[in-house]
Amino acid sequence: MTVPVLEAKGISRMFGHVRALDNAHFDIYPGEVVALIGDNGAGKSTLVKALSGNLAIDSGEILFDGEPVQFTSPNQASALGIETVHQDLALAPHLDPVQNMYLGREIMQDGIGKLFGFMKTAEMREKSRIAFDELGATVRSLTLPVGSMSGGQRQAIAIARAVSWANRVVFLDEPTAALGVRQTKNVLETIRRVRDKGIAVVFISHSMPHVMEVSDRVQVLRLGASAATLTTSKTSMEELVGLMTGASTKGIS
Amino acid sequence: MSDTKIDESGPETTLIDLRNAERGGAVRRLLRAQSFQILLVLLVIVAIFSAIAPDYFAQLSNFRLIVQNASILAVIGVGMTFIIITSGIDLSVGSVLVFSGVVAAMVMRAIGGDGWGVAFIGIVVAILSGLAWGILNGVLIAKAKVPPLIVTLGSMGMALGFAQILTGGIDIREAPAVLSDVIGYGNVLGTVPVLSVIALVIVVIGAIVLHYTRFGRYTYAVGSSEEASRRVGVKVDRHLIKVYALSGALSGFAGILSLAQFNTTAIAGQSTTNLNVIAAVVIGGTSLFGGLGTIFGTVVGLFIPAVLQNGFVITGVQPFWQQVAVGAVLIVAVYVDQARRSSALRGGQSTSSLWRRLVTRSPK
Amino acid sequence: MKWNRTALGILALGASAGLLLTGCSNGSTPGAGSSDSGAYKIAFVQGVAGDEFYISMQCGIEAAAKKAGATVTTQGPAKFDPTLQKPLVDSVVASKPDALLIAATDVTAMRTPIKAAADAGIKVVLVDTTVDDPSFAVSQISSDNVGGGKAAFDAIKQANPDGGKVLVVSVDPGISTTDARVKGFEDATAADSSFDYLGVQYSHNEPATAAEIVTAALQKDPDIVGIFATNLFSAEGTATGVKQADKADSVTIVGFDAGPAQVKQLQEGTVQALVAQEPATIGTDAVEQAIASLKGETVTAEIQTGFTILTRDNLAGEGADAVYKSSC
Ligand SMILES: Nc1ncnc2c1ncn2[C@@H]1O[C@H](COP(=O)(O)OP(=O)(O)O)[C@@H](O)[C@H]1O
Ligand SMILES: [Mg+2]
Repeated sequence: MTVPVLEAKGISRMFGHVRALDNAHFDIYPGEVVALIGDNGAGKSTLVKALSGNLAIDSGEILFDGEPVQFTSPNQASALGIETVHQDLALAPHLDPVQNMYLGREIMQDGIGKLFGFMKTAEMREKSRIAFDELGATVRSLTLPVGSMSGGQRQAIAIARAVSWANRVVFLDEPTAALGVRQTKNVLETIRRVRDKGIAVVFISHSMPHVMEVSDRVQVLRLGASAATLTTSKTSMEELVGLMTGASTKGIS
Repeated sequence: MSDTKIDESGPETTLIDLRNAERGGAVRRLLRAQSFQILLVLLVIVAIFSAIAPDYFAQLSNFRLIVQNASILAVIGVGMTFIIITSGIDLSVGSVLVFSGVVAAMVMRAIGGDGWGVAFIGIVVAILSGLAWGILNGVLIAKAKVPPLIVTLGSMGMALGFAQILTGGIDIREAPAVLSDVIGYGNVLGTVPVLSVIALVIVVIGAIVLHYTRFGRYTYAVGSSEEASRRVGVKVDRHLIKVYALSGALSGFAGILSLAQFNTTAIAGQSTTNLNVIAAVVIGGTSLFGGLGTIFGTVVGLFIPAVLQNGFVITGVQPFWQQVAVGAVLIVAVYVDQARRSSALRGGQSTSSLWRRLVTRSPK
Repeated sequence: MKWNRTALGILALGASAGLLLTGCSNGSTPGAGSSDSGAYKIAFVQGVAGDEFYISMQCGIEAAAKKAGATVTTQGPAKFDPTLQKPLVDSVVASKPDALLIAATDVTAMRTPIKAAADAGIKVVLVDTTVDDPSFAVSQISSDNVGGGKAAFDAIKQANPDGGKVLVVSVDPGISTTDARVKGFEDATAADSSFDYLGVQYSHNEPATAAEIVTAALQKDPDIVGIFATNLFSAEGTATGVKQADKADSVTIVGFDAGPAQVKQLQEGTVQALVAQEPATIGTDAVEQAIASLKGETVTAEIQTGFTILTRDNLAGEGADAVYKSSC
């Protein structure tokens, strides 16, 4: 394969005395689904925040397309085509799907309308509809507030928003944790669809069957450090669980 | 997979009020809003008083005065609606009004003259004075993270204190004649108070900004979820400062309107303006928890206490009962808001009210 | 859902309707009375609702109106605040009374709204307080407030013949009555070199503020011998402040007005004297002047009513009638 689209080299981050990331490594290639697994508190969310511009690192290097980058804000990561669906959903509950989709990225009218802050509402609605359709996300209403929708629908909207703005990398931090069986299937399907568009997907989950089902590779974090990197087709759930808990140490990169 | 139906009411479902949010066509939005139902309540109150006292209450001249008396509050109410939608509060509006009126009056007195030139300077000075307090409020709330209730309680005392320091507590009773003659007591088309026309213009602009511009969109977003807004790159702190600045500037403008109407800085006045405006905003269906609300609702919310008071006075009801009635309306409005919220949380949003079944289509 | 909406409507309606009924059984019938039947409709607007001074005035008005066969409705803002009184006056004017008796809360702010009543053909009588250029009013009736201020000084002097520092606690500047009381006191102090006038402080009609002012003043000048509190709430707060500063023995407080609270303080010895106005007389005179004007008889443009100095000694005797009432 070519160069990784995103790569972390030996990054560390302390929270007081807690070593949330300890010389951790991570890489992902275009069109790949990498599952990031580890016990609670292993540092998965911290790694995602560091790679999406939501958190500064103490040491180490982040490479984007092989070039070193320093993220100081989520906007900077967004500009590079990196989007994140955070563990706690980042939607505004009183806004509708379209308003959420374009929040912070509103399409403004031209000329004088823009000066006064008027938006192209119809265009945003149309483009959102297309984006939801593309993902097969069954968003039943574009005009109801997302807070009135089920967890599955909101997850679908959050993912749709991330993937429609991300053209390089999408982070999904435990996207299925709050979902029922059917919603989960839908999310996994979405992940494949996004991957098929050539976008790299980082998928964090505690569910080993889902990891086995959807990922190409698995990277294991333990106590903030990289414990292993494995090709999904060549591993098993038992081995992954062993690596997470420290019972096995095979495959350290 | 495209035929997959997402389960609408899983156990993880959290619902918020459906009918109250901003969405869909303007007409449907209007019909479903609490503010519209409040409008019906207002119309019923008007109808009752009109039936009881047709010769006194139901007179154009009376309605004209009710509207005129609500005008200054409406100007402040526009800013307050924005603030409460961000889940904030501004207790300082009445004091900022007085302070701005005092500063404007002093500047105009120093310049002297009765013409539009000095009046215009006074208007600008009043707006800037209010703006300064608004920015101070906003910075303390957004940057220093002091709760809005505390910040504006503090600036409420400070603004009034400075107004008294500047004047020694003695009202300034001179203002350019044009202010009083044209703005304070002038009429358009013979009967429509200029003061009310000015308030209407501000209300309409406020509603357009809130409902149709990015500024308004961010106001709802910040009130709905600060964190979500921040993560998508909305500059939450800056937006909050702007919203408080807007409220301050409008209170400052209200200060010059008050000067025009009363011909004095009325330092001891406006003692309950903040609470009256907040009550109106809440009666109008704007949620104290943020994310929901309309300017239209605020205007209707202003008229309910105003009409109740007017009607009670005309029909000779004891003054204390008026406060009881307005207080009751306020509590009922908030209770309805709360009940709807918790009912929606239990998944009761599919039950249609009679009103809704009669007038609106259920969402398809 | 459904009943929430319905409940809102029913409650609001119920509230309004219920209150309307209360109102009807409570006051006079709206719309009743007209000039041709001889039953004049008189509206009385207080400076603030619930103040015994205005209630006593209301009693005088109602008694006089009853005698004249007129009806009275009384309204008052919740605070002594022109921004609250103006909408009230506008509403009263809309109810088209034959006469309006009003205690204006501000000389400037209330002028235009009250003048609008006169322009609408309503006979306006200014009671207690006045406004700038009151030529539109048929009559003005108030206590001789300058004289009242002087009386207050005399009461202080009586208790402190050797003189000393004296302070005035007033309401807000710009209220004609209290300003006149302050002036009367000031003039009397200036005429007597043994007294040292410390100036006037404003309580904004808040007893708590008055108490703060007085404790602070006593901190600065512990040798104050007398304080003149120019109105009901100021006196209430002044007494509290003196008590807080533990100076009840050395400071002579003279209050203006004689509400139940002051009278109680007088009985307890917290306040040494009260300058009682005659609000009922003001009310009676106001009704008489209004009706005279309505009937086209001669009207007295300005009437000044007197005072009673209340002390513990005369309270039970000739002073008893001067005490303000909390209901008629
Ligand atoms: N903002 C923070 N402040 C302090 N400690 C933190 C913070 N964020 C994470 N941590 C700590 O860092 C460690 C890794 O957390 P996290 O990345 O959330 O783990 P995971 O997502 O793998 O469960 C934990 O010990 C956690 O308590
Ligand atoms: Mg986590």
